[in-house]
Amino acid sequence: MFLEIKDLSVKIENKNILKSLNLNINKGEVHAIMGPNGSGKSTLANVLAGKEDYEILNGRINFKDNDLFDLNIEERAQEGMFLAFQYPVEIPGVNITPFLHSAINSKRKRMNEEEIDNLSFAKLLKSKASDLGINIDMLKRSVNTGFSGGEKKRYEILQMSILNPDLAILDETDSGLDIDALKIVTDGVNKLKTKNNSFLIITHYQKLLDYIKPDYVHVMVNGSIVKSGGSEIAAEIEKDGFQKFQ
Amino acid sequence: MNIQDNYLKNKKNIFFSENKDIQTYREKLINIFENDRLDKKNNESLKNINLKNFIDFKYKYLIPEETSVINNNQENSYSIVSVNGQCSSFKDDKIEITTIVDEDYNDFSKNNTIEKNDHFVNLNSLFLNSGFKIVIKKNNNIKIKISNIITDDNLTIFQKNNYICEEGSSLNLIEEYENKNNSSSNILNVIKLQKNSQLNHFLIQDNSPNHNLIITTHSSCKKDSTYTQKVYNFSEGYVRNFHYSELIEANSEADLQGIFFLKDNNTSNNKTFVRHLAEDCKSNQVYKGILNGRSKATYFSNTHVDQVAQKTEGYQLSKGILLSDNASYFSKPELKIYADDVKCSHGSTIGPIDENAIFYLRSRGMSKIAATKILISSFINEELSSIDNEQMSEIIQKKLVRYLSNVK
Repeated sequence: MFLEIKDLSVKIENKNILKSLNLNINKGEVHAIMGPNGSGKSTLANVLAGKEDYEILNGRINFKDNDLFDLNIEERAQEGMFLAFQYPVEIPGVNITPFLHSAINSKRKRMNEEEIDNLSFAKLLKSKASDLGINIDMLKRSVNTGFSGGEKKRYEILQMSILNPDLAILDETDSGLDIDALKIVTDGVNKLKTKNNSFLIITHYQKLLDYIKPDYVHVMVNGSIVKSGGSEIAAEIEKDGFQKFQ
Repeated sequence: MNIQDNYLKNKKNIFFSENKDIQTYREKLINIFENDRLDKKNNESLKNINLKNFIDFKYKYLIPEETSVINNNQENSYSIVSVNGQCSSFKDDKIEITTIVDEDYNDFSKNNTIEKNDHFVNLNSLFLNSGFKIVIKKNNNIKIKISNIITDDNLTIFQKNNYICEEGSSLNLIEEYENKNNSSSNILNVIKLQKNSQLNHFLIQDNSPNHNLIITTHSSCKKDSTYTQKVYNFSEGYVRNFHYSELIEANSEADLQGIFFLKDNNTSNNKTFVRHLAEDCKSNQVYKGILNGRSKATYFSNTHVDQVAQKTEGYQLSKGILLSDNASYFSKPELKIYADDVKCSHGSTIGPIDENAIFYLRSRGMSKIAATKILISSFINEELSSIDNEQMSEIIQKKLVRYLSNVK
């Protein structure tokens, strides 16, 4: 099993958010989690990425034969986990290019791979940015600073394509995107899909799943997965909403 | 020992002690100290200061005679080693350097209005034992680097320097304070910018824990002149940066900026004060601090706009990052506006490093410590990238790397 979440319960500030959640993802699979506001979707994404604000009450998570709770935030990233943020943080003064260069080399170092030099990295970055329709001038700017909502999401996907993760978690990447930006972003995701990597896509709407075809769709309500199945569930939710699952 | 005893004991060695007018002025200062009883609650110049260090100072008066060096390395470029607050005389067709005389002392003391409640300026006036005057002659463009060195332990320097930039002149001044011995400096820079002149003043402070530095600047700007000051405080010893500026004629500007890097039990007190006394003038006061360990800092900024100073633009900003729960930074911006057509603003933000930004960077594979360091560097990126002097930029970068190496 690539990612195995077993009986996971999590709370924050005395509020139980995730309740005995179970989820298994195999290599090469695309899973989508849909759920109403406040159901715990983003909490799950943050817990997987290692955010330290949460208290793990129960359960375990295995990722690529590692106990995920033994790895800190950066070790999870270096092991191949990637979270595309719902609200990417603006970091004025931290330039995109050296930041990403440093990120890719920290991963290669952990994998005992040779570090990528400046020139090769510049070529890689330029080519990936061009695939996503990102202007080269944007790469001279500070991380997410002054970006529009669409630019931020595109930049998240650019980082994902550079870091080439084994498991990518997309937390409401479709929110705030117009249809053209949505196509660019989802094209970027689809180009990255191989039989060796997996995706966990968190969304409210079926629209995103028209562009990225999931193998499995899960409905999350009140901190637990209440139904799992194929794409037909997404169509069902689009038609009737989440009411019937609550 | 109290101030009066100290004064009487050392009187014969204090500069200009034979001048009757100056003697009378100093007696008035002693009365201020006696009457004010060093009111720490209400006097900004005394807040967060261990007064004992400065009042009961060991006044080793006979400053050793050392030769200061002046090199005219390249055209229009001078380097000075000021030893124990002294500098030998020099003259060419572009600049003139002399020891200060009674007249320079009186000139400031009589006109000293905005610093009259600043006890450290008063201490400087009372115990003056060194200093020099530099005049940049009309229409010259000059670079000067001054290394301020103290050669001996237990030395207390009370130094007053006068800088005069004559009409149309431009001065790029770099001052380094890097003292490693157990000593104290109380330095007052009095700067006069004549019409259409410019001074870019950089102060690099990097003293060891047992050296106390108190540095005060009073600049006054005439028509179309600009005073820019950038302070970089990496000192491990106590530093007080109080900088006052008066915009006395139209279309003049004062830009007072500072960054301080504190750790352990260190303290730094900072103040900028700009008084707008003429129309169409601009001022900028921006201080940023990074505080680790149990360090403490204060920053008082003040813009005073006189009723004749229409079309004033005044901006104040204070920002601080607290790297430790035990560090503290107190900031108080103030505006006093008596004109009706002005644009003024102030802002202050102090807090720990942004945890969301740390999480974001770590989620891309960067270690916590690397993420913290990159965020500290980004906090002052604007100030560092605006240094247009390559040599200065290298010096600051090296000191920043040293500071960051202690951030855990």
